[in-house]
Amino acid sequence: MNYNTEQTDKTTTVELTGRFTFGDHSNFRKLIEEMRAHQSETHVLDVAGIEFIDSAGLGMLLLARDEGEKARATVVLRGAQGQVKRMLEVARFDTLFKLED
Amino acid sequence: MESDIDDHSPLTVAVPQSLSSDDVESLLTGANIWDRSGPIPFEHVIGNSPEDLSNSARFSCCLLPSDPGREWLGSLIRLNSDNFIECFDGMDLGDLCPIIGSDPKSKHHLLVCLSTRSAYHLPVARKFVTALRHRGLIKEATAPAVEMAVQEAFANSLIHGNLALTTSGRLSMDRFNELGDETKKRLASTTYGDRAIVLTAKKRKNGHIVISINDQGAGFTPRKETDETTMPGQESTFGRGLPLIKSLCHSVTFARGGRTIKLTFDQIESDVLSADPAFIREFDAQSSIDAALRTPQNATILIADDTMLSREIIASYLRSDGFTNLVFAKDGEDALSQAKAHNPDLIILDIIMPKLDGYEVCKALRADPQFAETPIIAQTALEENEGRTRIFDDGATDLILKPLNKAELIARTKIHLENRLLVKQLRAYRERTQSELDLARDMQENLNPAPEQYRGTGFDYGMRISATFQMSSELGGDMWGLVPIDEQRLGVYIVDFAGHGLGAALNTFRLHSLIWSDQIRDPDPGAYLSNLNRHLKGLLPIGQYATMLYGIIDRSQKTFSYASAACTSPVLGDSTTGTARYLDGSGVPLGVIRDARYETREVPFDQNSFLLLYSDALIETTLDDGQFLSEEKLLSMVHETVMESSSDVDLAAQIADQFMDRAPVQLSDDFTVVSLQSANGANGFTARDETQ
Repeated sequence: MNYNTEQTDKTTTVELTGRFTFGDHSNFRKLIEEMRAHQSETHVLDVAGIEFIDSAGLGMLLLARDEGEKARATVVLRGAQGQVKRMLEVARFDTLFKLED
Repeated sequence: MESDIDDHSPLTVAVPQSLSSDDVESLLTGANIWDRSGPIPFEHVIGNSPEDLSNSARFSCCLLPSDPGREWLGSLIRLNSDNFIECFDGMDLGDLCPIIGSDPKSKHHLLVCLSTRSAYHLPVARKFVTALRHRGLIKEATAPAVEMAVQEAFANSLIHGNLALTTSGRLSMDRFNELGDETKKRLASTTYGDRAIVLTAKKRKNGHIVISINDQGAGFTPRKETDETTMPGQESTFGRGLPLIKSLCHSVTFARGGRTIKLTFDQIESDVLSADPAFIREFDAQSSIDAALRTPQNATILIADDTMLSREIIASYLRSDGFTNLVFAKDGEDALSQAKAHNPDLIILDIIMPKLDGYEVCKALRADPQFAETPIIAQTALEENEGRTRIFDDGATDLILKPLNKAELIARTKIHLENRLLVKQLRAYRERTQSELDLARDMQENLNPAPEQYRGTGFDYGMRISATFQMSSELGGDMWGLVPIDEQRLGVYIVDFAGHGLGAALNTFRLHSLIWSDQIRDPDPGAYLSNLNRHLKGLLPIGQYATMLYGIIDRSQKTFSYASAACTSPVLGDSTTGTARYLDGSGVPLGVIRDARYETREVPFDQNSFLLLYSDALIETTLDDGQFLSEEKLLSMVHETVMESSSDVDLAAQIADQFMDRAPVQLSDDFTVVSLQSANGANGFTARDETQ
């Protein structure tokens, strides 16, 4: 998994790309540290560029949500498609995240 | 592990150059994984990368170097072998040996054995599933579910099994970071990192595919069935994919004390598999023996009727005309089992029978591909129209009324048997045509340089050259090649004739002979293409054309000059930064107008440069996300590939491997990717001007 962060106003947008699986520990850790530093009110995780996610990847998205909550920020998942969309549906992530197309 | 029937013939093994012969020897002879006794002769075929090994040869086993990387993982698709085993220090297969050396009667169709250390960083599940698709073992439509299940099961076996990490419960960020550090530590340790993980796939006769994942951890006891809908989102967050796996498979079972998980996937057999032709040829060879032609009198005829008298009458009529291979069934169920047991050439079927009536028998037979075309003559006393039309709807070939007329019965039997013979002969004819087309395919593939040729030529010019070519399901119109001009200048071309099929193939032969004739010797790419176009225009029928790029890499001037006839835009990049850009590929296609002029364009090409040429199949094939590979995505794929691997990467092969993971097995157009990279001293290649 690779990512790109962009901060505008009070929103941090993270564009994630590639495969997001159990081996992405260290990249994800770096990403969380960057998000912490931004102190935005809204964190948008743009997963449109993710082609495949496994349950460990889902777990990491949940961690991102927990981190956001701690900082009183809203975490939004944006643009899920294909296999990612299917996984989010099966895991009922609509109850845990704000999902955007 | 599989061996050939002859116990004395040597086993051919693909061996990476980086492995020491001692390691290879100790793995091959030390591990008890062969189903042969006594000393086994091995024949090694050595390659620096999978691209160096022939993709037409059959290997009993393909060894992977320690820490194989994506490059060698790609051999699962590139090489014709069922067994891929990483050769690493500290490898101790232990009780995995019987799995690898499985009973030859129930041998696996694919096996991959990796160290935990290298498997952790590789997209193993994805490559495994792509390999299954290319072998025709799973259908395109089932592949996504299989990949998700394999990914989860594989992650479980690797993380909870081999690395013995516990991740239950909801994770906090601190715990997550600890886990990350612990994972790194364990991967580096010999206790955990050296454990092996083995994936196998087997196809059962009923069409089910069984995938097993085997680890060397402590094993695990599956918890009592809890709520199947509980997903990792709720309580535990990490890697606990078992409910997900179950939702994706037909069944899940455990063996070896929980160190083996077996996933069974069920597939509807009648669907046509879009397998890679190279892999299914073996299967076809077997089935054609069964389908050997028989003469009408040798035909096996099944007579299904519930009254013995009727069976005897029909039999006596048929025997009197020389049909002696008769089998009988006394009711509908019996008819189905006799049909399965004897595979009759023709079935005479009574409609009103106990257990299963003729309508149901007809339907059941037609649903089975084996009997899809077997003639069925229904016989009945029913005279109402409804019954008659219904039996045809259910698949009967013909209808004959009771009481039977001997002459009519024999006449109809003969006609249907002869029809069947004709169909079989037609099929045999089609198969022969196919084999001729296969020959043409081979010839066309031979227009492209072989790996040892382009590798050697690249070496002479201080470049690493990589290429992947896959022909479409029919004959295609792609071609590429290298033209050494002098010590410093190397010419390269890539061609794509419009359309595919025989016409396009013939045109590639025409163009190939033009390129290699002495008529066209212009040193300037623009002039070269203009001249080539003039010649080609005279040869090509109206309406046929080609796109082409011809360029020259000049090592001393450090330039790449080229001309393009509507070719796909070449990609020029820098190996140190991974940045790349598109060059202008515009120009009139070849064979359209007689006096087309082509402009020579020149760009810098130094010791860090690389060039990527490709046919439009790369950017015009619908991938698994329903989209083409966009210009932007291709550039970022190139960038990531260059940055992830060190400079000594077979760029074209890597791009092709990633493409194959996401594209259908059968491409509708030829696929060509060629990369030319300046090799810097670090990887052992040195430019000619530096060595002389």
